[in-house]
Amino acid sequence: MSQADTESRRQEDLDAYHVIDCDCHYMESFHDVAEYMEEPWKTKFEGGNFDEKGAKQNLSSFFPFSTGDRQAHGKITREHSSYPDSPETPERIREGMESIGVDETLLISHLILAGAGTIADDTRQSAFAKAYVEYMSEEVLDPDDGIHGLAPIPYYDVDASMEILDRIEDRDEYVGACFVTAGATPPLGNRKYDPIYERCEDMDLAAVFHTGGAGLDEYVRGGYEEMLETHTLGFLESNMSQIVSLVVQGVPEKFPDLDISFMESGVTYLPGLMTRLDEEYLKRPEEAPLLEKKPGEYITDFYYGTQPLEISADPEYLEKCIDMVGADQLMFASDYPHWDYDRPTTVMDLPFLSEEEVEMVLSKNAQEVFGL
Amino acid sequence: MSDLVEVKPADEFENGDREFVDVGGVEVGVLQVEDEFYALQNYCLHDGGPVCSGKTHRKLLGEFKEPGKRVDKSYSEDECVISCPWHGWSYDIESGDHLANDDISLPTYEVVVEDGVVYVGGQKN
Repeated sequence: MSQADTESRRQEDLDAYHVIDCDCHYMESFHDVAEYMEEPWKTKFEGGNFDEKGAKQNLSSFFPFSTGDRQAHGKITREHSSYPDSPETPERIREGMESIGVDETLLISHLILAGAGTIADDTRQSAFAKAYVEYMSEEVLDPDDGIHGLAPIPYYDVDASMEILDRIEDRDEYVGACFVTAGATPPLGNRKYDPIYERCEDMDLAAVFHTGGAGLDEYVRGGYEEMLETHTLGFLESNMSQIVSLVVQGVPEKFPDLDISFMESGVTYLPGLMTRLDEEYLKRPEEAPLLEKKPGEYITDFYYGTQPLEISADPEYLEKCIDMVGADQLMFASDYPHWDYDRPTTVMDLPFLSEEEVEMVLSKNAQEVFGL
Repeated sequence: MSDLVEVKPADEFENGDREFVDVGGVEVGVLQVEDEFYALQNYCLHDGGPVCSGKTHRKLLGEFKEPGKRVDKSYSEDECVISCPWHGWSYDIESGDHLANDDISLPTYEVVVEDGVVYVGGQKN
């Protein structure tokens, strides 16, 4: 045995299931996307010295604009991805999928995750999102081979968002619209976003809300010192704030056929949020007059990506949390190749799920939500 | 000698080198770190990652000196850690104990050098 056998780790287990990954990140480069930009952004970006640097965060490791270094200063590496040193390629996406046991994947832009916090200039996000959609269609997505896409929605600019939805309406490669939750102001239950949700509902296009790639420190409160603090809190805050806004403002009642899912905050935060919101709703329901049932019951109508699943928690507690959310509302998500990605083994190993529930979480729920 | 699994001659190791051997059906990584040999199970207790191919580094220690002052952080002079490259679970390279929870301990193995050859012996913990 001359080297670590990294290819066969529980490969038989992984091969036993058809797995759909609802949250995989494609490491596009500004350089590649710039070719598809409209002017004046094309000229600006092509001259921006981004080159082919990928998603490297060397500068932020030292002077963080989001606390800390995601690779934990060299501890974490990716054998089957170019991240973070170089842009990804379609070939490497397939290599990464195979290495973690995924058969179909939904790709979400990496760079857009930090864009939602840029609220000073909404044309910046629109220009990027439009070009990204074209770039991915042209060069990366391949639905016949299980490579699906989620279109980033630059929701601050409703007109641009509607234009993107128009563009992808007849494109099979896009199976959802992606809203980055971090930094969204006003929060995403605001009526200004209604036309976007209405259009998604008309198109039978799933709305995927993805928490932000940046930390709490950028959006809510400065002064934290470690990524352990900001990543733990920030990802929850970003999703929780939009879940509450969507529910209280009645988005599920306004657009009852819209499939809503939230990504990348695990599952244990949900029971706490549901029970607190229900408790307050009982005291002031007049502030949410569109609701026909308790807020928590809308929250359990939403779908959730599993990652990062809290597998080290007390199994009884985790079982109760998953029971409250419902195995029929969970969809496997890897977040690959990010530092805290999950393999499908995290779901397969849950001792309290039935075989049928494991299959639901690993693929069947996603097949329904995304029409795969 | 029958219980020892041969790795390779000691003088063919350099600091940072890793070799992988089968010890009773378990994949074991043998490393030379700072002139010492270590052998640990090459299967992370988190999700089976190839922990012995990961980064080795000195353990970072923190000491509270007095209220209002920064915690004094420094690298240990002798304790070393190995981290799984998949997700960063880190273990004391000598004891196999997880850095954040010593209820979790990665199996470690005896390393024996006889007649200039490195062998792996039985499990230690």
